[in-house]
Amino acid sequence: MPLERSSDPRHADSHVSAKFANAPNLAEEALRECEEKYQMLLDEVQDYAIFLLDQQGMVVSWNAGAERIKGYRGEQIIGHNFSCFFPPEEIKRGRPEELLRLATASGRHEYQGMRVRKDGSRFLASIILIALHDPAGNLRGFSEISRDLSERKESGEKYRGLLEAAPDAMVVVNQGGEIVLLNLQAEKQFGYSRDELVGQKVKNIIPEGFAERLIADDLRSVEDALAQQIGTGIELTGRRKNGTAFPIEIMLSPLESAEGILVTAAIRDITQRKESEQQLVKTVGELKRSNDELQQFAYVASHDLQEPLRMVASYTQLLAQRYKGRLDSDADEFIAYAVDGSNRMQGLIRDLLTYSRAGTNGKALHKSSSENALKEALTNLRATIEESGAVVTHDLLPAITIDDTQLSQLFQNLVGNAIKYRTSKVPHVHVSAAKNGGNEWIFSVRDNGMGIDPQYFERIFIIFQRLHGREEFKGTGIGLAICKKIVERVGGRIWVESELEKGSTFWFALPERDGK
Amino acid sequence: MESIGTNAAAIEVLLVEDSPGDVRLTREAFKDAKVHINLHVALDGAEAMAFLGREGQHLNSPRPDLILLDLNLPKKDGRQVLEEIKESPTLKSIPVVILTTSSSEADILRSYQLHANCYITKPVDLNGFLEIVKSIDNFWLSVVKLPRVPS
Repeated sequence: MPLERSSDPRHADSHVSAKFANAPNLAEEALRECEEKYQMLLDEVQDYAIFLLDQQGMVVSWNAGAERIKGYRGEQIIGHNFSCFFPPEEIKRGRPEELLRLATASGRHEYQGMRVRKDGSRFLASIILIALHDPAGNLRGFSEISRDLSERKESGEKYRGLLEAAPDAMVVVNQGGEIVLLNLQAEKQFGYSRDELVGQKVKNIIPEGFAERLIADDLRSVEDALAQQIGTGIELTGRRKNGTAFPIEIMLSPLESAEGILVTAAIRDITQRKESEQQLVKTVGELKRSNDELQQFAYVASHDLQEPLRMVASYTQLLAQRYKGRLDSDADEFIAYAVDGSNRMQGLIRDLLTYSRAGTNGKALHKSSSENALKEALTNLRATIEESGAVVTHDLLPAITIDDTQLSQLFQNLVGNAIKYRTSKVPHVHVSAAKNGGNEWIFSVRDNGMGIDPQYFERIFIIFQRLHGREEFKGTGIGLAICKKIVERVGGRIWVESELEKGSTFWFALPERDGK
Repeated sequence: MESIGTNAAAIEVLLVEDSPGDVRLTREAFKDAKVHINLHVALDGAEAMAFLGREGQHLNSPRPDLILLDLNLPKKDGRQVLEEIKESPTLKSIPVVILTTSSSEADILRSYQLHANCYITKPVDLNGFLEIVKSIDNFWLSVVKLPRVPS
């Protein structure tokens, strides 16, 4: 029954002992026949490397599977020590001898480890080493049965295909923290060839934060330890063969296999992402700084300009009051221009201060009634409304999240303009609000005034831009610029629709947000 | 340091102000005052404290009945002058009117916390300024009863 005997390695020693010991002649013929059949059978085995070693580890037999997996033909390897199947660093550590000792001590030693093919390439193997004894109990040698884990299954092939197709570097690691498999991307990313990495500790390419995550401790099993990491990107540092470090993001997933749970790590080089993130942070910082400086500049400039200007204005006014008609008519005219100029300058500076404050000194945003804001604006405009006979109407207006003082100023500027730029007709101003499809409230302030030429639709919102001479209409050209700033501060927009001599409608859209 | 008028019955006012333009404007405005005012001027905070402490050349300075104090001053800041006045047992009863260009909320709050008696922002136009000085004259020097400290 050679079949059954060979399938159970524990019985193999009786066969082997026959080979090593001098079997009694009586049985010799039968045994040789048995041995030939057995060898034939072994030769049929393609998936397993099965071979015998003597006490020192010299190869004494070789099968087809061994030839295929390890790349040596029988005549090339028989008589050589089996240590040549081990990576150099393991030979150095005396691993082959150690394994023989372990097998000798316990009769049988099973383990997984890296093996080296004839061409120098490496593979992860599952190995059973059995000590062989003669009937007297003397150690005669060893048999080794091993298989190449990386090619073990069909699904393994499919998995490898998947691995190669992945856009990221993929590395499969066992629980000892050793690299079992990797793809081309991983070779490129870390600058190693495949054979240099297989069997190596993953710590060589990811020094920190990876291998530690695979370890079970008192509180959790390996599965639990791993489950906590699944699906989340972990940012770590990778190290290339040439020693350079680069930022990586890894995603882990478990891969159940006969050898226990392996871990597949998708490793993405995030150098570029990190750089653009840093660039973005830097740019935002610079932008904020330059914005703050500009804001500060406008405030300080207008504030400090006010002091000397107050002197100019006060003393030209004092001149005008005390000496009007006491000098000649030229002097009166010159003084009048000086007074007018300093007055206008004061207006500009005052408005510039208001404008620069609109962006910084605004109160916190909170939910408030836009109807109340309009009412407050109309109270402030009472004199203008009464003097012009204007009729200001409005629809129901919503509660929105905004700085109510600024909203009131917005209404005051827009309604004030609507009345200011009127025709000979009685000014009619109507304020309404509607929600658009998105999350915005669209307000409108419609008038029957003189209208605006479409070519100026953009320009009117720019600070100190005016469409009329000072003799026609007073003002510095700040009102709409302030409106724009107030609206944009809360992420809104402002624009105008108008036709000359028919009137204008100013629109502003305010995003709806959760009030505090 | 300069002083105008030396009437014994006059009201002594110390103006602490570094802008000669403002000093002159204040003087112009006080010209029409209802009571006689001796206006003393300190051009910085240090000089104001020397005047109040009768140090050096100010040995014979009168004790002011009212102090008009600017906040932004050379040498010693107006805020510090205010603090020193209000911490001094002998000086703290003198009313201090802050008269400054600053309209900052922080300055206003800080001044009152340091026991300023009132805070006025200088108006930017001439007539406004003249009005303010007149109302100081009217309120602090006519309406209000000021403490008389025995010499």
